[in-house]
Amino acid sequence: MESAKSVMEPLAWILQMFTGLIMILLVTIHFYVTHMTSHEALKYAEVVSRVAQPEFKAMYAVLLLVVSLHAFNGLRAILLDTSAGMRRRKAINIFTTLAFLLAFIYGLYLLFSI
Amino acid sequence: MVEFKIRRYDGEKSYWQSFEIPAKRGMTVLEALYYIKENYDSSLAFRASCRMGVCGSCAMKINDKPRLACETQVLMLGNAVKVEPLDNFRVIKDLITEFEGFFEKHKAVKPYLIRKDDVYAEPKELLQTPEELNEYYIFTLCIKCGACYSVCPAAATLDDYLGPAAMAAAYRFCADSRDEGQRERYRIVSSSNGVWRCHLAMECSEVCPKNVEPAKAVQLLRRKTAFSILKSLLGW
Amino acid sequence: MSVSGWFRFKGRSIFSWSFMFQRITGVVLLIYLIAHLTYLSSLFDRTGATYEGMIAITVSKQFLVFDILLVLCGVFHGINGFRIILHEFGIAYEYRKPLLAIFTVIAVAVWLYASYVMYSLTGG
Repeated sequence: MESAKSVMEPLAWILQMFTGLIMILLVTIHFYVTHMTSHEALKYAEVVSRVAQPEFKAMYAVLLLVVSLHAFNGLRAILLDTSAGMRRRKAINIFTTLAFLLAFIYGLYLLFSI
Repeated sequence: MVEFKIRRYDGEKSYWQSFEIPAKRGMTVLEALYYIKENYDSSLAFRASCRMGVCGSCAMKINDKPRLACETQVLMLGNAVKVEPLDNFRVIKDLITEFEGFFEKHKAVKPYLIRKDDVYAEPKELLQTPEELNEYYIFTLCIKCGACYSVCPAAATLDDYLGPAAMAAAYRFCADSRDEGQRERYRIVSSSNGVWRCHLAMECSEVCPKNVEPAKAVQLLRRKTAFSILKSLLGW
Repeated sequence: MSVSGWFRFKGRSIFSWSFMFQRITGVVLLIYLIAHLTYLSSLFDRTGATYEGMIAITVSKQFLVFDILLVLCGVFHGINGFRIILHEFGIAYEYRKPLLAIFTVIAVAVWLYASYVMYSLTGG
């Protein structure tokens, strides 16, 4: 049975790839809706009504999850690429995981409050 | 005449020194270095052995690219040739770098056939088809010159990183149909200093003098390692 | 050795350049993510005043150049990332040079198109 530590790296690698693929789709949609249609889409009332729609809310939640995962796992990876980072491996794993959770939970809170 | 600018190191300070070489067609950088050593400065230090591209001793940075000095033609490099030791290795003297760590990493991946029925007193013939050989043949050509390691960005910042050469060697054995030690090696290369630190800069494959394509080996090894670990996690 | 070791370009092939840009754009996008989530906290003001105030600054002709640079980062990182994912699965490694050329051209084309649309939307 593999320990949690030895499973984190292959899992993180596979997740980095999957979240990357999902983001190519979702970020394109997000960017299209907000920046390529008209500036009306960015007005406060429009944003609130868009987020209220269940499909958009779900999409934003998924986007938030994959982006936060990918970004902070990416940060973890490049920090561990350095000798200084590798010496503090445990701390960096914990810090980046917490940062991901913070970003995700804060984003969800924002998403469900507006 | 070709100007050779060589980065010297005497154990304390690093400095550049220039030499004018009467270059003839067919002269290699290694021959030029020997010329300098014999005619200008006998203190110039560099490693070389076979002078035919199979031992891997004379790898050095020539005009910013790591190459084998014995296989690089002087006249193909232009009027000025810059020669430096390989990056990412500690310089001992002039163009000679420390290689102990590099060889230790190679040894660490168990680069030999591992079999349960390994009985020295009763040797067994292990058969292999040409197709099975093709699976890993290209990765057997590594001459351990260190050029790949010198251009790897992960090796630049992480001293303990296994490196492309060691991992290509690991894959060479994992992909060998005669080998039974895959799981052992997967465990070794999936340490935090192993396959997970490669992010596909792919420069290693570009500079390998034997076209071993270590980057490809690392990807294939990583895929095999990841699925092996996850499979065992799920109890398959 | 410091992280400058990641950004050596002398004597390196285009693969190293692509690696360097992938890393730089990744860090830029990480910083942008944090800034973006902070920016969106302006939505908590239910009158919409804070949010609209920030939009007035950032969705403007003056800010367009930053938007265009950001889009370059995002488009390059995503499209180049897709190429990297292909190779990390062991796919098409033999065709890495043409693949890099094709994906870079696609990234630049998408970026130019997106920049043009954003430019037109801010009134040209």
